[in-house]
Amino acid sequence: MPRMLLASQLARWLPPDPARPEGAVQLEVGGHTVGAALESLFATHPNLRGYVLDEHGGVRHHVAIFVDGRSIRRKDRLDDPLGDDAEIHVLQALSGG
Amino acid sequence: MSDRLLVSTRKGLFVLERLGGAWAIARHAFPGDNVTLALHDPRDGAITAALDLGHFGTKLQRSTDGGASWTELAVPAYAEGDEVATGDGKPNAAATLKLVWSLEAGVADQPGRLWAGTLPGGLFRSDDLGASWQLVRALWDVPDRMSWFGGGYDTPGIHSICVDPRDARVLRVAISTGGVWRSDDDGASWRQSAHGMRAAYMPPELAHEPNHQDVHRMVQCRAAPERLWVQHHNGIFRSDDGGTRWTEIEDVPPSVFGFAVAVHPSDPDRAWFVPAVKDERRIPVDARLVVTRTRDGGASFEQLADGLPATPSYDLVYRHGLAIDATGDGLALGTTTGGLWTSDDGGDRWHVLDARLPPILAVAYA
Repeated sequence: MPRMLLASQLARWLPPDPARPEGAVQLEVGGHTVGAALESLFATHPNLRGYVLDEHGGVRHHVAIFVDGRSIRRKDRLDDPLGDDAEIHVLQALSGG
Repeated sequence: MSDRLLVSTRKGLFVLERLGGAWAIARHAFPGDNVTLALHDPRDGAITAALDLGHFGTKLQRSTDGGASWTELAVPAYAEGDEVATGDGKPNAAATLKLVWSLEAGVADQPGRLWAGTLPGGLFRSDDLGASWQLVRALWDVPDRMSWFGGGYDTPGIHSICVDPRDARVLRVAISTGGVWRSDDDGASWRQSAHGMRAAYMPPELAHEPNHQDVHRMVQCRAAPERLWVQHHNGIFRSDDGGTRWTEIEDVPPSVFGFAVAVHPSDPDRAWFVPAVKDERRIPVDARLVVTRTRDGGASFEQLADGLPATPSYDLVYRHGLAIDATGDGLALGTTTGGLWTSDDGGDRWHVLDARLPPILAVAYA
């Protein structure tokens, strides 16, 4: 299954879990596209939707998603395909210096 | 006199309490996060905090135990097709929530009612204490909205919401930049009511156009709600008829520019402002932080500085950075350089908090 890595800045907004170490979090997700993988994440952690996507369903302006080391093509479409072993990084974009 | 203050800062929410006569930090919630505003709800004592997380957007959190624990709320959201104009020729853009710029509670017989004013200019209503929000479409859909424009931000925003203490269906909101809008029917219909204001930054033929008035902050006297005060981009204005007509108060030393205003809860003639050098500088006049106070409806003003810095000071007070308590004697002032001063005597004497805080965005008594 694809794996999703949430940067620590994002993972800290997951519900409190004493068993989870501090820092970045790795989760197994379902789906064959980035959009489907995110939906799989939100099914488990609904509160994260508003942190990753804006109200129109696009990836937030300052959030970046990489699949196997490459940035997704369109932040408003999320149709990048995922292989079974895909690694998806969700992190804060660096902008503004 | 209130014994608790909510201080929203660039690096978290500070809850201050008065201990043995002096204010001290009792709690620091959301350390490191940009807390832009906090509302104390007099109906149940709950605190609602607005956070701007930058990368991850605007969030709302609610605490019912004085800030010890928090529950995340829903945030106002714009729908597909909602557009925002900026009024100066830039193309319209899709409306997305940029900031919760004002929060107000409903009255006792509206137990779940909250109001949220936002950038980019939408007013939202909740009837379940923030579990869900509805855009007040009657205001969003006024044709005049398309000629509102941004003041300090790229888009227009609602920073002041006055719920009339006599009748909670009567609402007045102030917009930077879009004047003052009034509803008498709980938000079902709206009309512009910034008549009498003057915009020195507009071409002369548009200077008195209500829709172009850049209100920085508007407050209403609780005991005499026909009296409202406005700190405007280029002046101070007063209304004696519930915000229908406005009168400019001119020649107030050291400056009529500023962001914040507070009105006494029972004496409509008493109001406080924090002046600064006008728009292109936004620093205290002569690097001297003062508060101006009128006690006669604006006929005269005093400059209050006893207890404020005697040395050069570049503190700026934002529009939500000046608070008055329910007695009218307690005042609190928070600045962009992290200074916090309080007064127990209406501003005659100020006391500095013994702490260097992050930049302060808003203060409120709780």
